[in-house]
Amino acid sequence: MRLGVDIGGTFTDLVMQDPATGRLFNEKVLTTPDDPSRGVLTGIASILHKTGTPPVAVDHVIHGTTLVANALIERKGVRTALITTKGFRDVLQIGREWRYDTYDLMIAAVEPLVPRHLRFEADERIGHDGRIVGPLDEAALAPVIAAIEAAGVEAVAVCLLHAFQNPAHERRIKAILTERLPGRTIAISSEVMPEIGEYERASTTVANAYVQPIFDRYIRRLAQGIREQGIARDLFLMQSDGGTVHQSTAAEFPIRLVQSGPAGGVQATALIGRLTDEPNILCFDMGGTTAKAALIEGHAPTRTTDFEVARIYRFKKGSGLPLKVPVIDMIEIGAGGGSIARINRMGLIQVGPDSASAVPGPACYGQGGADPTVTDADLVLGFLDADSFLGGEMRLDAAAARRAIAEKIAGPLGLDVVEAAWGIHETVNESMAQAASIHTLEKGLRPDDFVMAPIGGAGPVHACAVARKMGMRRVICPAGAGVASAFGFLAAPMAFEFVRASVTELAALDLDGLRAMRDALEAQGRDLLRGSGLDEAAFGTGFGCAMRYVGQGFPVELGVPDALLDAGDRNALLAAFEDAYRALYGRIEEGMAAEVVSWRVVVTGPYPDLRPTPAPEGTGGAEAARKGSRQVWDGTAGRFVEAPVYDRYRLVAGSEAPGPAIVEERESTLVVPSDARIRVDALGNLIVDLDAAAGGDAG
Amino acid sequence: MSPPLSPIRLGILWQRLTGLMDEVAQTFVRTSFSVVVRENWDLTCSFLDAEGRQFAQSSRSVPSFIGTMPRTLAGMLRRFPKETLEPGDVLISNDSWLGTGHLNDITMMQPVFRHGALIGYLGGTFHTVDIGGAPRPDARDSYEEGLTIPVAKIKRRGVENADVIAFIEANVREPEETLGDIRAQFSAYDIAAARLLRMLDEEGIDDLTAVTSEILDRSERSMREMIAAIPDGEFSDEVTADGFDHPLTIRCTIRKRGSALEVDYTGTAEQIDRPVNSPLNFTYAYSVYALKCALDPVAPNNDGSLRPITVTAPEGCLLNPRRPAPVWGRHLSGHYLPFVIYRTLAQVIPDKIAAESGSPLWNVYFKGTDRKGGKFVRMFFMNGGHGARPALDGPACLSFPSNVANTPIEEFENTTPLLVREKALIPDSGGAGRFRGGEGQRLSFESVTDDPVTFVIRHERVQFPPGGLLGGQPGRCGRDLVNGAVIPAKTVQTLRRGDVVTFETPGGGGMYAPSDRDPQALSRDIASGLVSAEAAAAAGYPLLERTDDQ
Repeated sequence: MRLGVDIGGTFTDLVMQDPATGRLFNEKVLTTPDDPSRGVLTGIASILHKTGTPPVAVDHVIHGTTLVANALIERKGVRTALITTKGFRDVLQIGREWRYDTYDLMIAAVEPLVPRHLRFEADERIGHDGRIVGPLDEAALAPVIAAIEAAGVEAVAVCLLHAFQNPAHERRIKAILTERLPGRTIAISSEVMPEIGEYERASTTVANAYVQPIFDRYIRRLAQGIREQGIARDLFLMQSDGGTVHQSTAAEFPIRLVQSGPAGGVQATALIGRLTDEPNILCFDMGGTTAKAALIEGHAPTRTTDFEVARIYRFKKGSGLPLKVPVIDMIEIGAGGGSIARINRMGLIQVGPDSASAVPGPACYGQGGADPTVTDADLVLGFLDADSFLGGEMRLDAAAARRAIAEKIAGPLGLDVVEAAWGIHETVNESMAQAASIHTLEKGLRPDDFVMAPIGGAGPVHACAVARKMGMRRVICPAGAGVASAFGFLAAPMAFEFVRASVTELAALDLDGLRAMRDALEAQGRDLLRGSGLDEAAFGTGFGCAMRYVGQGFPVELGVPDALLDAGDRNALLAAFEDAYRALYGRIEEGMAAEVVSWRVVVTGPYPDLRPTPAPEGTGGAEAARKGSRQVWDGTAGRFVEAPVYDRYRLVAGSEAPGPAIVEERESTLVVPSDARIRVDALGNLIVDLDAAAGGDAG
Repeated sequence: MSPPLSPIRLGILWQRLTGLMDEVAQTFVRTSFSVVVRENWDLTCSFLDAEGRQFAQSSRSVPSFIGTMPRTLAGMLRRFPKETLEPGDVLISNDSWLGTGHLNDITMMQPVFRHGALIGYLGGTFHTVDIGGAPRPDARDSYEEGLTIPVAKIKRRGVENADVIAFIEANVREPEETLGDIRAQFSAYDIAAARLLRMLDEEGIDDLTAVTSEILDRSERSMREMIAAIPDGEFSDEVTADGFDHPLTIRCTIRKRGSALEVDYTGTAEQIDRPVNSPLNFTYAYSVYALKCALDPVAPNNDGSLRPITVTAPEGCLLNPRRPAPVWGRHLSGHYLPFVIYRTLAQVIPDKIAAESGSPLWNVYFKGTDRKGGKFVRMFFMNGGHGARPALDGPACLSFPSNVANTPIEEFENTTPLLVREKALIPDSGGAGRFRGGEGQRLSFESVTDDPVTFVIRHERVQFPPGGLLGGQPGRCGRDLVNGAVIPAKTVQTLRRGDVVTFETPGGGGMYAPSDRDPQALSRDIASGLVSAEAAAAAGYPLLERTDDQ
């Protein structure tokens, strides 16, 4: 048995798979914020009990958590000190010196996690090429250590200039601190993230140290609890880049788990892509307060090492703590079901970035919210149903929704309520389409090469409209979107990635050295995977590099086939780079020298054989699953049309239906527009073809 | 014709057009060859409508470029009237009086055609570190400051104009970088133009000018409402710049009547034959930017929102010099304008302004021989402390009124034979106040090469510190030193191996009386080491009881 566990804000989701039969089981229990491990253990006990599974039958527990992100957002990490190269302790506070909003004179500075009186310096210096310019003065560390001890610090981060080129001084300081300050967490930048850029690297190292003791305590408690339940297995955790790692690695570098849950959601949609043979997927995750988008290209989520957590100003870049960690490249904007619609100073509708949150929530929740939200607009437009929201557990107040929209939007703009609701719906869709399009462009990809897979409560409601705005032709609404993250934990292969940064011009590459490096890292990865008990025959390896023209700052990532490296063909490598560059920017720089910035080796375990519960078999097509019909707004026609409502759980494989249509499941509602067609595949995925009515006004 | 635009469609269209500018900027930055573009984002990408009105720009833009772009386009169109433009043309110029006020900023404009008619312009302004010539703090006229590219077509009907390219290539020190950045924008414009046309097809827009007019009118109304809320009257104040041989007064009078506002710089010092003069374009740009920030920061910035504001300066003064005045360091007067405007308005709208920051922006150019034996020119930005705000301290080392990021030390050392010895906050440099000014920073560079390294600086605020407002105290003045000895702030000097040059940027001014500072905030200041106990006593901060609290 393999067990995936995702701790969310409200619920802890569990998904268990029996590899022998492929069967899946779900469970949902309340999250226990004071000690999240309690909820997890309760959930595990419950799912084992309900399925009659003995604990010893559990082979893998794969876990994702928001613990790291929350500790940073709420600033509830431990008291942390920082040691930098002499002369640079204020870099962490100075940051990058630009204002994240051009016009707002009142923006707040992002407070560093380590206050100035806990930032110390070491007398040493390493040059840009890794040469030691000034030796480490170990005697001068004594007063620093005394001060750290006196300050009652639990964790120490060390980030020295150019340590990513030569970690000797950081390692020495770590050894000294480990000896002199036993029991403290020590994080050094050359281990946490060996990348250029002293501010971002320091920020990452500090954040790692700041959360490490908390995470370590948590994971120990959880591991112990699981053993006490009779599951004699170590824990694995989902990292932000979608790979899974052993608990010991996670405990050392918890900062790599900062996007753990969302990464699981993306892995779940990547799996759907493999099962439906769609290599390029845009994962669209729309919840209550924000929407996220991530690209899966060639079945692999696109990744980055530029990330920001805990943004303090409208989700704006620059207003958070920068982290250089491998993450699935995801954008997040303040556009969710609870986002509030307002009329801005221009007399136009603006949605978000502020949200009505859970309390008081949208006006239609009937909890006193008076501001109109996206959910209120969706209700007025017939996309949501007052009686079947959350499976009917929460009745929505349509009159309150209409009232809020009438008072705050329709009245002042001289529109009727439905027009205004449509305006809110369209505006938020446009924001999301635009953010996702720019994100796609930043990755050098074209949105119309992708299909959309929506997850999250509000994702399926808006997916078709957003996809159309982006020029996409298909939406795949996966089964079980409500537990997508936990499901995704099971879907991800075990993987180890190694990055070696070294800026070298193409002509100067040491190809023998490179081959040796690749082979050594591959062997190391294979050892780690074998240690996790996986079948070596199914291991996969990938080798790639990041290249740019000499003088540029942003490299282009490309895969390097083994044959190319083994043949030692520099021209073929240049050609591969130029192909990738041309695909991105439409031109190449003829005659300019190119250089490699970094190399990457990935060793991947086998993809788990994981299939969602298939759709029920049966006859009668979509009609058999029809539970009624309702009036929904057709934006193209500019009027309400009658749309059939289907029960997702009763839709059998092979069912087809034309839009407009509504498909309801417990956690969400799929809105299928006119001129689109929906069908159910054998796995229960809903596939919407948006240009089904060729010649129609599908945009 | 198009049906009348509902506020809903209008909003959507506008969103799409502004989003497009972010896409242009993104493509440019990612393919750029210069540190100043990709690390400092010293650029703006804009869309101007068929009438040349600034309509939308990339969200991370240099404020001055937004203000100068429509004026630059107007100048370009005087040379190449609209009728002479063809699809695939790209206009270029860096003329200081047509452009942003100095030669280092190159502006390009690509007209966009649809169904044979010109529907607007995609434009960009970016900074190039070297533009040839010998710009020096003691340059006497603009000819010494480098290559002027007169208004020219750098692309004609989609084909590069080899003559213009050759002229640029022959006149700049790093042609690969400069031309690389120019060409990076060619592809950015082409991609954006295609997307714009597709967008108009999708939205069924035949008359784009009707859309832009409506947006511009709404932006204008928004600004007028904000201006109308200020009491009518005439207000005056002044600031003093260090200048060269003698200080320079910048005097500002603001006349506010109804929903219109006039900024008049009569009384400002005469232009001088040193490169600190600010051509009127630059003067205008920083004046309207300052007012936009204070009065209507939320509504987008465009031609409409600036209509209610007029900016005048007597011809021949520092803020409206005649050709060929040297203008290379035009920010040395232009960056004072937000501060003199806020000082002037402090009594009237104290809750909407900020005290003075440690700027005009400090930078340094290093020139010499790199490790491979080639020539290098590297600019390094160093921001001072931000002025205090009505309810918030000023952040340390934050770029205002410019908005340029710094260069990471590790990146800088990779490309120069210099070792950075220190980048640290300067205690007691922020002006005291109920809300404190932000700290300046100290940066030290040591030469580690046998070849001479020349550096050029032209720094302000070494004699007259950034002022505080409404009882707040001034920040600390800046300083420049070589091997510990103070040097002139506007100079060219050479470093030999082992020489260390140190720059100390000014701190921001405080706001309101120090005696009103929250004692808890003050004890945090003292614990951080950024305010010394002696300075606290001297500034008139409230007395703290001794506690063991750190």
